[in-house]
Amino acid sequence: MNEEFSSVGKRITQVDVAAKATGEARYTPDLKLPGMLIGKVLHSPYPHANIKKIDTSKALALPGVEAVITFDDTPKKAYARSYRDSPMNSSGHLQHSDEYILNEKVRYVGDHIAAVAAVDEKTADLALDLIEVEYEILPYYIDPQEAMQPGTVPIHDWAPNNIPIVMDSAPPYLAQGDVEKGFAESDVVVEETFFASKQVGAHLETQACLANVDANGRITCYSPSQLPHLFRRELAKMFRTTVGMINVVTPFVGGSFGIRLSCQNEPICIALALKTRKPVKLVYTMEEDFTELDTRTPDYFTIKMGFKKDGTLHAYHIDTLTWSGGYLGRAQLAGGITLAWGLGHYRCPNTNGKVTIVYTNTTPTGAMRGFGNPEVSWAAEQVIDMGAEKLGMDPVEVRLKNIKKPGEMSNIGLSIESTWEDECLIQGAEAIGWKEKFGKPKQEGKVRRGVGCACMHHCSGAHPLLLEHSGAIIKFNEDGSASLMVNPGSPGTHIWGALAQIAAEELGIYPEDFNIVAGTTDGSLFDLGSHASRSTYVTGGAVRQAARQAKSRLLARAAKTLEVSPDELDIKDRQIFVKSSPERKVSVADICFNGIFNFEGDCETVMGAASFESRWNSPPTAAFFAEVEVDMETYEVKVINFVNAQDCGTAINPMSVEGQCEGGIQQGVGYALTEDYSINRDTGKAETDNFTTYKMPGTLDMPKSTEVIIINKPDPKGPFGAKGVGEPAMVGVAPAIANAVYDAVGVRITDLPITPEKIFAALKMKSR
Amino acid sequence: MAEQRVILNVNGRNYDISIEPEMTLVEVLRDKLDLTGTKISCGEGECGACTVLMDGKPCLSCCTLAIQAQGKSIVTIEGLAEKGQLHPLQKSFIDHGAIQCGYCTPGMILTSKALLDENPNPTPEDVKTALAGNLCRCTGYVKIVDAVMAAADEIKK
Repeated sequence: MNEEFSSVGKRITQVDVAAKATGEARYTPDLKLPGMLIGKVLHSPYPHANIKKIDTSKALALPGVEAVITFDDTPKKAYARSYRDSPMNSSGHLQHSDEYILNEKVRYVGDHIAAVAAVDEKTADLALDLIEVEYEILPYYIDPQEAMQPGTVPIHDWAPNNIPIVMDSAPPYLAQGDVEKGFAESDVVVEETFFASKQVGAHLETQACLANVDANGRITCYSPSQLPHLFRRELAKMFRTTVGMINVVTPFVGGSFGIRLSCQNEPICIALALKTRKPVKLVYTMEEDFTELDTRTPDYFTIKMGFKKDGTLHAYHIDTLTWSGGYLGRAQLAGGITLAWGLGHYRCPNTNGKVTIVYTNTTPTGAMRGFGNPEVSWAAEQVIDMGAEKLGMDPVEVRLKNIKKPGEMSNIGLSIESTWEDECLIQGAEAIGWKEKFGKPKQEGKVRRGVGCACMHHCSGAHPLLLEHSGAIIKFNEDGSASLMVNPGSPGTHIWGALAQIAAEELGIYPEDFNIVAGTTDGSLFDLGSHASRSTYVTGGAVRQAARQAKSRLLARAAKTLEVSPDELDIKDRQIFVKSSPERKVSVADICFNGIFNFEGDCETVMGAASFESRWNSPPTAAFFAEVEVDMETYEVKVINFVNAQDCGTAINPMSVEGQCEGGIQQGVGYALTEDYSINRDTGKAETDNFTTYKMPGTLDMPKSTEVIIINKPDPKGPFGAKGVGEPAMVGVAPAIANAVYDAVGVRITDLPITPEKIFAALKMKSR
Repeated sequence: MAEQRVILNVNGRNYDISIEPEMTLVEVLRDKLDLTGTKISCGEGECGACTVLMDGKPCLSCCTLAIQAQGKSIVTIEGLAEKGQLHPLQKSFIDHGAIQCGYCTPGMILTSKALLDENPNPTPEDVKTALAGNLCRCTGYVKIVDAVMAAADEIKK
């Protein structure tokens, strides 16, 4: 704990949670405007088809229906649901725009082809049934291996063999040395293939939008978007208007986890509002969420590592086949991350890799928590264990030998600002009882226990891959209370509290002095949004900058009152005092009051406003330790204990960091054991379209005991030493469990999730 | 279908309203009574986000017809605080960091209330069992269980 801080590091409660505890919090589906219509979307029942004809006349004739729209009624402006056709990095790298508000060709079951607006939900549903569509059914491809065969029907004309992108690793950070030579020089070489699954975000608030168009044609879009400013820009391009004609409002958000980085049903809702000139609310059902929204990117990996006798990693190759879905979504970025985060985690002189991205007739893939990193870690963290076994070394020791130190090149190619991955491994191993428990002799009996570990290295924002720009305004009231005006809405990450703690620390006042004004593009400076574990690090950086400006104004005014120079002053406990004689002081409230009720021609609302671009990217690191029991009659895996040791720099609010880590364990346990997205090969439809068929962990499926260790050592660049933590929390959970299963029963499950059937089959194969 | 008059007792107050008989309880609470604290998530009784109390017992309001709720006493999350005083469970959820996105929170709190009303001295295992039908995607449940245990202590004071 950093005792020198007065606000940072405290376990404060969040200002936005009381509304959630009382039911007062309004999420997008809860909103209502006078005269509001209900929107509904017609989704494709076929995985791949051309639409030859749509007849909407019967639907339009139904009383209560106010609009029915198709491809022909919407702007013909293709967009990328990832917004990656924005100038997101300095090289201006663009991603292909490959879909429309409503499509004239369908590319997965669930693709959006028409929409209605009606007076109520029942009428809207009836109207959908009355839309007549004539399809020309095309051959479809569920797996990338099928889709990429020569002679297949293109899902998009511009991508021959359904391969839009092949990425070869390039120096300096994605490829180094000579990999072939490196393997030849290695004493131990291990290679394995893996499958990382199509995990679903499964946020409880289904996708929703409320769109309103005012008399001047100005659009207000209420949506749970995670990137409101970029989203606004995309909408402006789509609807051929100016950015100023759109306000994106993010009310309370019922979970995001990266899925809400993409443009989902909002353009359809806006198109309906523009057509009817009435407010339209469009809320998806959970089945629509499962069959229409982005998921985590599924990948097939082949990973090869070569080690020297002493356990030093000497050569490392990753080959990835990525399953994009019907649209690119974020598969291109995920591909780059699997290479950079995979190859860049450990020190290794000889690395290279390749990613092949393939269009398939499945739901598109998005940016679910950590995207790219949990996938590649699932594979690579098992290959490290395989190498350790062949070397006859402890897997923790092998990791400690190969993890990077500060000053070495990070996964993103920058110099590592800070890393305590070694501490994470050492303290985590101690907490799980690694020395006593790992590698016990072969066990007998019904229940076999094992322990496993994994570690990871992530990012705090995405500089220099992407723009990392945030802004903040701090505006004091006449009594010394203040508004903190930022963009991020209330997605449940406790970001408002963390930002208030950062501002309070800088200004010498208290977090509760701030009223958080957030969640609109109209009322905030440009902020990239909430992704890549960036909000504390980058938006926090902007807040600290704004606070410094406000502080300099407070000190300048106080200097006149106290008749000293501003640099002789500081602020603590809401008092501005002379550092050399602290009894000479004036309150922040008095200075603010005098600025506003000022009759001497010196009026001023004390404020600070800052735009901030993070030019750094301090990698958070973590270690994960699982202890499992495998039932040898049912082959069921139970996670008994889980330890997550996180190096997130300074924990601005340890309670919130624990919350992120505990939640990451839930998503990781689900990814590892039960969340099994399944597509019917005969229909192309997702068979897992609810929480009965898609099993995410409940209270009884979680580890009996969970321990979060926060290393809590400051980073030199983050605000008050903070780094990101949101995504890192889940990255290594699944491979730690897989390694523990191997320790328990001696079989390695390489395809997610680790089901009883797979363990049974692997044991049977082994006994042959 | 013709509308039907029903009287529902929600949070201690009688509402005399006209509804379509196929309306679920959650639809009536949200759309007719503007009590949007009760959430619709899965819509088919798998996630527990729509939980309300019916005669003190947890009830999945997305799988219950509103007409079935006549003559019963319904408590929603809006009815838990008394005269502006938060219920100890609400306070405990806030203080323990048990709320992240908050979408599961109303259901979690009401299911926990039914548990504590029946069993004022639960073990953590009892709490986990009681909440097994309430899904959360954010918290990993750790702080939720902690919050319920602490509220149980508070209520006994």
